[in-house]
Amino acid sequence: MTLRRLLSRYTGFSGMAAKEFLAYNIWFWMNLFTSAVAMTIFVFFWKAIYAQADQIAGLGFQQTLNYVLLAQVIAGVGESGILWTFGYQLREGRIALELLRPLDFQGMLYAFSVGNWLTGLLSRTPLLLLALLYGLQPPADPLAYACFAVSFFLGASVMFFFEWMLGCFAFYTTEVWGLGVTLFAIQLFFSGTLIPLDMMPEGLRLFAQILPFHQIVYTPVSFLAGITPVSQAPQVFLGQVAWIVGLAVASRWVFSRAVRAVTVQGG
Amino acid sequence: MSQNQPAIEVSHLRKVFHIPQRDPGLGGAVKALFRPRYAEKVAVDDISFSVPPGEIVGYIGVNGAGKSTTIKMLTGILAPTAGLVRVLGRDPHKERVANARQIGVVFGQRTQLWWDLALVESLNLIARIYEVEPKRYKELLEQFSYTLELGELLAKPVRQMSLGQKMRAELAATLIHEPRVVYLDEPTIGLDVVVKEKIRAFIKEQNRAKGTTVVLTTHDLGDIEELCSRVIIIDAGRVIYDGPLATIRERFGKYRGITFETARPLEHPLTLPPGAEVVGQEERRLELRFDRTRASASQVAAAVMGQLEVLDFSLSEPDLTSIVKQIYGGALSEARPV
Repeated sequence: MTLRRLLSRYTGFSGMAAKEFLAYNIWFWMNLFTSAVAMTIFVFFWKAIYAQADQIAGLGFQQTLNYVLLAQVIAGVGESGILWTFGYQLREGRIALELLRPLDFQGMLYAFSVGNWLTGLLSRTPLLLLALLYGLQPPADPLAYACFAVSFFLGASVMFFFEWMLGCFAFYTTEVWGLGVTLFAIQLFFSGTLIPLDMMPEGLRLFAQILPFHQIVYTPVSFLAGITPVSQAPQVFLGQVAWIVGLAVASRWVFSRAVRAVTVQGG
Repeated sequence: MSQNQPAIEVSHLRKVFHIPQRDPGLGGAVKALFRPRYAEKVAVDDISFSVPPGEIVGYIGVNGAGKSTTIKMLTGILAPTAGLVRVLGRDPHKERVANARQIGVVFGQRTQLWWDLALVESLNLIARIYEVEPKRYKELLEQFSYTLELGELLAKPVRQMSLGQKMRAELAATLIHEPRVVYLDEPTIGLDVVVKEKIRAFIKEQNRAKGTTVVLTTHDLGDIEELCSRVIIIDAGRVIYDGPLATIRERFGKYRGITFETARPLEHPLTLPPGAEVVGQEERRLELRFDRTRASASQVAAAVMGQLEVLDFSLSEPDLTSIVKQIYGGALSEARPV
């Protein structure tokens, strides 16, 4: 089987993600509306803060504004929702049917997530326009955009495997609500969606950098906001790839244990 | 695969579940946290059978008999506790993905289709996953559209479909990659007679044209009569009958029940047409059974009405549950071809 044919069997799932997204148009508009409101609040919040100071943690107003606007544009896009997917499939007994597809289960869901990320990014275009109205100054260097794109997909992949491991708990508990809500709160804070990591106290910042969450918001956005220079890109990417390799191996091992709980004990 | 190799081979298959036990109340829940106890439930107990390619076999039994557990082991999503399963020469659990390419499964209560998308999107995806040649896919889609009357369903999201439409869609999705072995777990559950007929015709056609091997579980004797020449009946995890349907039909299928509600209790013995007999009697209720080949319902009803004042009466077909009960009670032991 050629690689292209093999890939084509999986990318069908990416397309399904886009189609499924478009099936819910009310959800799309609601999401856009709440995101626009959140962005507006953030702009006024940071304007009020910078009325008192010229620089915070080495960041000037325009840099912070750029960061906050871009973080709001992509907030949530890099999440995979694997935890909820597992919870749903196990509760409904659907996992059996998914395991019956002649594909690698993780590969199938990864392809689906890639589709979700692409659709998510495209669907945020109106928010990007709003951010420009609020004074976003995008960088001139095309390399910054490339670094953003690469680190976003690598970061989203890191989170995909990370959440996959957490999701495996669902095989034993069949309940993911508590874990899901906790994960959401932690992710919101430690991803840097609310404030750039640079503004956290030293200890907290280090802790945030150990956790993987910052890779879906802080890491990519900081390239565009001019916080992380493009020259540091190779180092950043390398770190992300190391995360992916480690988590991919670990998540497959954990999953093979978890799936045994279902296939041996019955779902 | 050689010609005489069975499509499905099961020998001494056994499945034991460990079910967590806990005492009622909070105390019990806390105790179970520290010292979990398990009870063993034997769902499948030493089952053996083999199915040659191209056969449609009915796999029947009452609820909880172990049907679905067997099917899950045959598909590979459940690992056997002991025993051997081979589907087209493979161990379905160890070679789950390779096995999945050759089989199709319908679980009557669940769907593999995408809930929010038009049916044709799901079919396109499935064709892509299984690498159905585009030309062949087009042909099959046309054929299926005709026999399953998919026409306008193709553009309809699955969530908007009725139960019957969903099942037709499901069957199309399961058979579009032309699997060699198909498991149908209650494919006609909850459907009306017209849809049932369509689905049976479709299964028969696929089997005849492509030699598809089919394992069918159902509570509907009509499905069995229409499709299967052979039935395997299981009860409490064991095979209690494996043989031709004709034997069962001869024994049980020819009888019909008729129940009368009478104005007064029966005082003297009834004179009945040949082939009819009383099987149950309460104060003002009378249950009869008659051989359809020897007497008609109207003859029996007329005979009873001539001797008693009848307020109401009803006719019944013997259902699977009662047949299984009778077989389990040993009624068929002498006819058992095993």
